Amino acid sequence: MKKEKIELIKDGKRLDGRGFEELREIKIEIDVLKRADGSCYFELGNNKALAAVYGPREIHPRHLQNEKTAVVVYNYNMAPFSATDRKRPGPDRRSVEISKASRCALDPVILKEYYPKTTINVYVELLQSDAGTRTAAINAASIALAAAGIPMRDLVSSIAVGKIDGEVVLDLNAVEDNHGEADMPVAMIARTNTITMLQMDGRFTKDEFEVGMKLAEKACHEIYELQRAALIAKYSESVNANVNVNVNTGRGEE
Amino acid sequence: MIGHHTMYKVVVPGDFISDDMDRAGVGTYVDGSKVYAMSYGIVITSDKEEKIKVAALSGKYMPGNGDVVIGKITAISFPYWIADIASPYDARLHSSEFEQIANRRIEFGEMSNYLDLDDLIVAKVLNVDALMRIDLTLREEFRMGTRGRLIEISHTKVPRIIGRNGSMIKMLKEKCNCFIFVAKNGRIWIEGSESGMELATRAVKIIANEAHTSGLTDRIANFLDSFEEKGTEKKGKEKKRKENRKNAIDRLIGIAKNKDEKRKNRTYKRW
Amino acid sequence: MGLEVISDIRTDYVYNLLESGKRIDGRGFHDYREISVERDIVNKAEGSALVKIGDTAVLVGVKLEPGVPFPDTPDRGILMTNAELRPGASPDFEIGPPNEDSIELARIVDRGIRESETIDLEKLCIEEGEKVWMIFIDIHALDNDGNLIDAAALGAIASLSNIRIPNERYGLVLEETEEDTLSIRDTPVAVTLVEVEGNLLVDPNLYEENAAACRLTVSSNADGTLSGIQKSGSGGLKKEQISEMVEIGIEKAGEIREKFL
Repeated sequence: MKKEKIELIKDGKRLDGRGFEELREIKIEIDVLKRADGSCYFELGNNKALAAVYGPREIHPRHLQNEKTAVVVYNYNMAPFSATDRKRPGPDRRSVEISKASRCALDPVILKEYYPKTTINVYVELLQSDAGTRTAAINAASIALAAAGIPMRDLVSSIAVGKIDGEVVLDLNAVEDNHGEADMPVAMIARTNTITMLQMDGRFTKDEFEVGMKLAEKACHEIYELQRAALIAKYSESVNANVNVNVNTGRGEE
Repeated sequence: MIGHHTMYKVVVPGDFISDDMDRAGVGTYVDGSKVYAMSYGIVITSDKEEKIKVAALSGKYMPGNGDVVIGKITAISFPYWIADIASPYDARLHSSEFEQIANRRIEFGEMSNYLDLDDLIVAKVLNVDALMRIDLTLREEFRMGTRGRLIEISHTKVPRIIGRNGSMIKMLKEKCNCFIFVAKNGRIWIEGSESGMELATRAVKIIANEAHTSGLTDRIANFLDSFEEKGTEKKGKEKKRKENRKNAIDRLIGIAKNKDEKRKNRTYKRW
Repeated sequence: MGLEVISDIRTDYVYNLLESGKRIDGRGFHDYREISVERDIVNKAEGSALVKIGDTAVLVGVKLEPGVPFPDTPDRGILMTNAELRPGASPDFEIGPPNEDSIELARIVDRGIRESETIDLEKLCIEEGEKVWMIFIDIHALDNDGNLIDAAALGAIASLSNIRIPNERYGLVLEETEEDTLSIRDTPVAVTLVEVEGNLLVDPNLYEENAAACRLTVSSNADGTLSGIQKSGSGGLKKEQISEMVEIGIEKAGEIREKFL
């Protein structure tokens, strides 16, 4: 079958009813895994990401060690059943590249010098995908790292912007991504407005790029507030740390 | 240590702590003369100290000089025993540490007669060097028996298990009628009657889970009191506690003479 | 170990010089090293180009083969980009399967070419659903003195600009209306900048690359639109810095395009 042109914007609204600058619903659960040192389940619309952090732990063989700092290893993995077409298990070129870009997104906040010669492993499983998986994964990983007690300068928040029917919009879903004209995932440290990941493919004019950056910046601030609220809630609302706190503040269909 | 004059406030990495960079304490960092949290933890300000600290709510134990830890022997690499101390880094114990106790020289191949794989030790961190090599010392410390119970919690909860001026641990020992030793790395050794150890274990778990809340000592006291009647009769309790403690220490100091067969048959790498 | 010590000393050197507004090889912050592009130097390939940027050398070869189209694009040709960081090009490269650096390099080049739509993939359909042309762009790093990406991207578009479709080799007969050359519709150019202590440097050499916390590659088309961006490295960038880098990237791409494409 050929890709058919479909109308993605009707009467100023997107197909799922969202406005141009509207995020999908976000759901956060912290420390959902028993064995991991820190973990987080993060939903962004129909994306379901599960991040597990192990470490810092001493690594062997020695040539993988850094004598001065910890080494962060980030692994992004899509479950075979997570997308419409079955994904062949194991790493592929896309996941290798995403893993590298995501590691670079988190590297700037991790205070690696506190744990020389160790590794910090971040494993993110995408259980269900609907475009924007790497951004959901980074949001989950950032919370899981904090929950694991890793010393960090800040949290990292991530979202994608794109272009559909000639309009720059926030947080594309899979239909929009497949039929859209551009996609640009961004990660940033919200407090300092520092961009730690930027990827783009498609066609953007310089002006559209600037509009996209502004949308992403605003959304990252919103996501940051949700990430922070979820972490605070875990130790504030309940005296039993084993109870998972469910933060559901996404806007979704209003 | 979390004292009486404290306020509990949970922060995440990057949260603003203070405008005054002179007040940057443990768990914080300075950026542009302002102080921010570098851990997901609890802000601790006390009347006595100027510094503001952020006590992490989770994370791995990092050994410091003088810390008393409980380690588990994981390898023997002459002349060292290698011990897991619940930290990212393994620690090592030189055979000479044991020679002082054994009063003789320990030869290559003999080390397992003194400490074998999986044996538990209580040791003091002698030195941590820049390459994160951790040397332990046994001096004045002891080897642990086999009849108690070892539980492990996050090292970040240890201050609450001990309590202000040792109040929590004192209460636990008395009300559970157990010998309890809390190591800095989050490992806790308990010796006593089966029911006493069980009660202590449950109490420790509650403290660990609720370490970030206030009024904990009272809640634990109530919890322990609710079991008081079911426990051993109060009469002679204090005497028995002292006896238990004496026995425990006796056992711990002595070098175990009988190794079970399983251990003898275990092979491991020597190099 | 010895090498690491030298690179540490050099890193300090890069910082110290930048403080006084100078680059290690005396260039201006926005200047490229000398670029050369030599086309059709491998006669077995349908297209090839040897690109040198200073001492960095990359050879790109393009091969065409008929193959089965992807099920979701039965009427389109297939574009595949692969990069090999050969161990002869640097003591840091090792023999073995593609690693994250070679995969990232290939995918940045691929996105620049693909998203610019410089190749009309629909014209590469031989028989819908059955047979299409597969274009393989293979990037071979020969010598790495920094900024392999820009050299590889320039090599890729230069190799594609003069390609004869090898119909005869595969027994395919051309209809009269069909062309046997591949025409390109755009000329995407990648420009890489690094940020070192607040300074934005175009075309980093190896020492600058190692000293930099951040790298940004900007791919842009002949009309000044963007076809790809990629940030790499363990640092962060301010929005204003990125805007400036994108602007410089588009401008520099124009200069390179005019000279070499």
